[in-house]
Amino acid sequence: MPLITVRFYSLWRSYLGTDSTTLQAERIDDALTQLEEKFGDRLREKLETAGIRLEGKMEDYSLILLNGIALRNLKSTELREGDVLHIFPPGIGG
Amino acid sequence: MESSTADKDIGRYIARSAESYLAPDGKRLPVISLKTTASVANAQGISAKEVEIAALKQGIVPRRYLRNMGTIGLAGQIRLLQSSVAVVGAGGLGSTAIELLARQGIGHLIIIDNDRFTESDLNRQIMSTERNLDRYKVTVAARRVRKINSATTVTTFREKLSEENVPNLLGGAQVVVDGLDNLPSRLVVEQACRRLAIPYVYASIGGFSGQLMTIFPEDAGLSLLFESSSNTMSEQGIETKIGNPSATPAMIAAMQVQEVVKIITGIGTPVRNRVLLVDASEFAIDGIELRR
Repeated sequence: MPLITVRFYSLWRSYLGTDSTTLQAERIDDALTQLEEKFGDRLREKLETAGIRLEGKMEDYSLILLNGIALRNLKSTELREGDVLHIFPPGIGG
Repeated sequence: MESSTADKDIGRYIARSAESYLAPDGKRLPVISLKTTASVANAQGISAKEVEIAALKQGIVPRRYLRNMGTIGLAGQIRLLQSSVAVVGAGGLGSTAIELLARQGIGHLIIIDNDRFTESDLNRQIMSTERNLDRYKVTVAARRVRKINSATTVTTFREKLSEENVPNLLGGAQVVVDGLDNLPSRLVVEQACRRLAIPYVYASIGGFSGQLMTIFPEDAGLSLLFESSSNTMSEQGIETKIGNPSATPAMIAAMQVQEVVKIITGIGTPVRNRVLLVDASEFAIDGIELRR
């Protein structure tokens, strides 16, 4: 099963207290499920501490790139050894 | 023929008015002061900007740009003075960008915003003060620019952006700076910039973090990041809820201004087809190459 790296950026990195993790998954949706199980609650707890309550899963309020390609239409893509998922909150404010 | 004779007259007038400046490296170079610029402009019936450009073309540096010379040189400063830059949104990002662009010596600024300053702007919007609350941001910004740099001309639009009006507002700009606070407006501006063939310096902020990307008309741009998710993301975006400390917009707007200078002068490499993620809480800056 391919070993991939997940990199967290900006608020997600500080809220999760780490800049990366590795996991083994065949497909992107498997990887997202593992990410949600491992980090979803921790992220939402931190957000709630900051007064922000979000419904849904991490992937619903994150930008996610697979090797630099936006994920939205790639969920069923098969992963390869060494792939990198980048995950961070979308930029909105100004 | 007449204008060329007039140019020569102005050139001679400026050369006669120049002073000698002893640089820290011991070299001397000809300079003109603000006062001289104003008096030449007055005597010749031309603008301060025209005087500064004519001076720079002869190798005479307006003192106010002395500290710009080591990075962009005479030719770069001339290009900036001849340029027009639009800033869309004069809030957190936009007001700092406007301040810096005026100091850098951009010749013409187009400022677009339809809001007034409120008390909650005071923590981070550099042009807001306790005294100018309720004033329109574009009015305050234009006045501030005139105080900073008499060579920079300003056009203001106190209008809400729409697909219909945006081509008129941005027409004539060489670069557009993003000072917006929502994704739908960014997508409208990006599309207009693409049609008008204008580079667009996207940036956004949230908490201690910000992101930036320079989008040239031929680049894929925001679709590389947001794909089809723009609607849900704009509703779910946590940035609007988490706010910004004072330094975050200043930090990211400063990077946007560096991009503008690079685009106009051709110096350096703009952040194209990759997103720069800046996180001040851990002080990490990451660039992610974006692909289709």
